[in-house]
Amino acid sequence: MKKTDIIISPIGKISPWILETIAREIRVIFKLPTRIMPLLNDIFFAHDPQRNQYYSTKILDALESRAPKACIKLLAVTREDLFIPILTHVYGEARLGGLPSIISISRLIEYTQIDSREKNRSRIIKESAHELGHTFDLRHCPDKTCIMHYCRKIEEVDQKSEKFCRYCKIFLSDSIKVLG
Amino acid sequence: MEQTRILVVDDELVIRESLSGWLKRDGYHVDTVASGEEALDLLKTQSFDILLLDIQLDGITGMEVLTQVKEAYPDIDAIMITAFGSIPSAVQAMKSHAFDYILKPFDPDELEVIIQKLVNHRAREKENVFLKEEYKNQTRFESIIGQSEPMQKIFRLIEDIRDTDSSVLITGETGSGKGLVAKAIHSNSRVKDGPFVSVNCGAIPKHIMESELFGHRKGAFTDASETRKGRLELAVGGTLFLDEIGEISMRMQIDLLQVLEDKIFYKVGGTQPIAANFRVIAATNADLEQAIQDRIFRKDLFYRLNVIAFTMPPLRERKEDIPLLAEHFLTQFTQEVNRGVERISRDAMDELMLYEWPGNVRELSNAIERAVVVCKTSTIIPYDLPIGPSLEDELKARYFSLGDLEKQHILKILNQTQWNISKSSVILGIDRSTLYNKIKRYELKTDKTR
Repeated sequence: MKKTDIIISPIGKISPWILETIAREIRVIFKLPTRIMPLLNDIFFAHDPQRNQYYSTKILDALESRAPKACIKLLAVTREDLFIPILTHVYGEARLGGLPSIISISRLIEYTQIDSREKNRSRIIKESAHELGHTFDLRHCPDKTCIMHYCRKIEEVDQKSEKFCRYCKIFLSDSIKVLG
Repeated sequence: MEQTRILVVDDELVIRESLSGWLKRDGYHVDTVASGEEALDLLKTQSFDILLLDIQLDGITGMEVLTQVKEAYPDIDAIMITAFGSIPSAVQAMKSHAFDYILKPFDPDELEVIIQKLVNHRAREKENVFLKEEYKNQTRFESIIGQSEPMQKIFRLIEDIRDTDSSVLITGETGSGKGLVAKAIHSNSRVKDGPFVSVNCGAIPKHIMESELFGHRKGAFTDASETRKGRLELAVGGTLFLDEIGEISMRMQIDLLQVLEDKIFYKVGGTQPIAANFRVIAATNADLEQAIQDRIFRKDLFYRLNVIAFTMPPLRERKEDIPLLAEHFLTQFTQEVNRGVERISRDAMDELMLYEWPGNVRELSNAIERAVVVCKTSTIIPYDLPIGPSLEDELKARYFSLGDLEKQHILKILNQTQWNISKSSVILGIDRSTLYNKIKRYELKTDKTR
């Protein structure tokens, strides 16, 4: 494994098309190699019975401790609904400028529409790149079309593009240069 | 670059960690503490813009913290964090001048909207203060005065670069006359007949900075009801002075770098290139090399700006200029307020010479202005000076280092203004962030919280 690999780590059962799509698109967006590698068998330790959700920060801690030393960044993918205590829910979480990040596909996937597969693919890519962007020290971006724009609603996720704006592109390139 | 500084005060670790992580991803600087006591202690040494304060804290309650903070640091805005059952307390907090309150657990939309509303509100207030100060300064300072060797060197350098259009970076402490040197460079340059356009990068709210600098086409964004020229376009054929360049956002650094490299720019929403035909002078009191290390200032932009470097000497290093400057300000303010103050007594001049002037020429100017107003006769005596006779006593009695002297003077002004940071910084002739840094460095504390 190269030192520049981004690990895509499924938690539980995630459809192969989702993992393969993320690995492929993240490789294109970040211009860094990707590799699919499970690291956590379950995340019950992060389960909150009162909310019936999973505390994403605890999962990030566990991921960080299990990450292979050579990996540059890590993105976990789960079907479970995530939260942090101050918020009702989150689509994902990342350690700013750190190693781990996670997304939940539970609020991104639509099963009702016939043409939903493309929409689902696009949402997953955008949120994956968004959380990984944070691990490269990128902050939320005011440009509504940029991947790093913070979306309050799923409609806003649909409205943004699968690209970084010109500023975030430069910040990302700076950050990758620093990592060597 | 100036980041909005937020202090989270909550006794629950998970709330502190979650809020901190969330706000950092939004680009804020965040510190957290678990109690009101810790918050008040931290505020003595560090400056914050916004307090996210839990109403129900162990020990000192959130309401008590709010009251003390509003008394000692009126510039800090507080958002109260409350559980559903504590809404009456939140209402009470609003009456005690909290900016707003939020209910736990927060809706992500609501949290972002409230903080953004507060940040915009603060930016507008800051801009108003800046515009007032700018107007005051424009009417005050017209020329650089100094016979000292450090100033003679500055004059020679201004002369030496008159035939070049290279970018200039002026560094120096607050109030040391960086803006005046920028104007002097312009007045001696090949573009002296062109405009001199000044931009205070620290005072213009981030969200309007792009339009302010680059201008915009009609309809480029919701409020763009007509096409408007930006400061870059206004500076064409002359000099663009970027004051407090260290405060500029990372995004704007990218835009400026592009202008300096490509020599063209576009209005927001525009497609017609405009030639960036102006000379750039930038100034800062920040340590840009440190900012580069901290990854908050771009190295490539620094090298573009730092082609010719000026370092303004602080007034304490050119004390021989003090009599000349004091006489100049005396004449100026006597005319302005139409008072028959004719001279500065020898004792008063000695006081001026002994003092270390942390706020440099601007502080001296403020001191003379005040003296002209309060002076009862035609001669300014030590009693009329805000640095006062007690300073001399203190000097003789126990304080020997320059740092001690500065520390005591800052503390005196802070106590005189009941620790009103804005008022104190105006009297001292330094900006608020410099004052906060000095409070931190000297570990100054208010009597109320000591």
